[in-house]
Amino acid sequence: MHRSSFAPPPAHSPPLHHPVPQHVSTVPMMRSPPPPAPQQPQSASYGNPYQPAPAQGGSGTYAPGFGGFINDPTAQMGFQVGKTAMMAGQEYVEQNFNRYVSISALKHYFNVSNSYVLSKLALVLFPWRHKPWSRQQTRLTSTSTGPDGQISQQQYSLMFLPPRDDLNSPDMYIPVMALVTYILLSAMLAGFRGEFHPELLGSITTTAIAVIVFEIICLKLAMYILSINNDSQLLDLVAYSGYKFVGIIVTLVASEVLTPGRGTGGWVGWTMFAYTFLANAFFLLRSLKYVLLPDSTSDASMRAGSMHTVARSQRNRRTQFLFLYAYIIQFIFMWVLSREGPSGLASKTGGAASL
Amino acid sequence: MLFLGSLFYVSVLLINAIAVLSEDRFLARINLSSTTYDPSFGSGDATSVKAKIINLIASVRTLMRIPLIIVNTLIIVYELVLG
Repeated sequence: MHRSSFAPPPAHSPPLHHPVPQHVSTVPMMRSPPPPAPQQPQSASYGNPYQPAPAQGGSGTYAPGFGGFINDPTAQMGFQVGKTAMMAGQEYVEQNFNRYVSISALKHYFNVSNSYVLSKLALVLFPWRHKPWSRQQTRLTSTSTGPDGQISQQQYSLMFLPPRDDLNSPDMYIPVMALVTYILLSAMLAGFRGEFHPELLGSITTTAIAVIVFEIICLKLAMYILSINNDSQLLDLVAYSGYKFVGIIVTLVASEVLTPGRGTGGWVGWTMFAYTFLANAFFLLRSLKYVLLPDSTSDASMRAGSMHTVARSQRNRRTQFLFLYAYIIQFIFMWVLSREGPSGLASKTGGAASL
Repeated sequence: MLFLGSLFYVSVLLINAIAVLSEDRFLARINLSSTTYDPSFGSGDATSVKAKIINLIASVRTLMRIPLIIVNTLIIVYELVLG
């Protein structure tokens, strides 16, 4: 195929065909078919950056087809170099990526089951009767037994159970799905009102993501100022800040179904909003407790007795912040996000109409 | 992108606001300067809120000075040309 397309071409071929027989006479087996000669300038232009010799060899064995080209040792070497370079690059990217977001940690957050998702959704929407809020930890004992059967080394590492096994564990599945659903639902509701623009998707997405980013920054700053050092919490915080989308989605859907076209501004919308906000705040209050108030009892006992009062006042401050975060900051953000739906635009257009 | 862009502006302006605070004219007067901060006896805890805030302001002032110059220049040029 390739040869037939290469050989006949323009007017080059006749003059270039002439040298070929001469070469055949000198090097009979290597260059028997004519095409290599027209290939020569091309492969030379490729090969020149390297060395002339491999280009020669490459062009010589190129004739039988691409299989010969691949079997060429220099090409093999090139492949090897390329492969290792790509592997190294991939490794580098992975390493640098892992520094910020570790893949294994992310996998841990997506390790969910159907029953977990259902009960977690129920928990987010109805957290009042749930009793144990602490996350379960498994003591991961990695014992390396020696050859004589006795335990030579024992390492304890506390591991939180994955969401599949522990209802109180934060996951990323529900927040991600809720975020996507929220974006699509808002766009769809705007479509019902005939106000859909493609840009709406982008603006809703940026608003939602900006809210999450802002919340994380607030929390991180507070954790710095209140000197709460608890590592590996960033993804937990992202997950917890994503749960509010569930409540917002319920609010939007309920207000659209019960009072179609009125948005979340009616009494149904406000009631649903108040309920989901309170439920979400209660849920966050309970589940962020272990993030923001990490085992202060052991802290206090570890420190000297003179520091006890400091620890207590600090604990008080942390509790106040937790309350502030769960109720006031969440209220603002949930209001912003659920206003994003029908009522905001409706009131905006209403305002425009009245103006 | 519009919203995230304004979010970026807001954060740059906030960091600017921290960076322009004068060390000896303003921060020392309200006891937030790291040079004059003298923890009184008994409350000299490195984890107190005030110590943390002082530390934060001092580190932002020292660390972000040169990046802020660059970023501000870029934003000014961008606003002049395309704003």
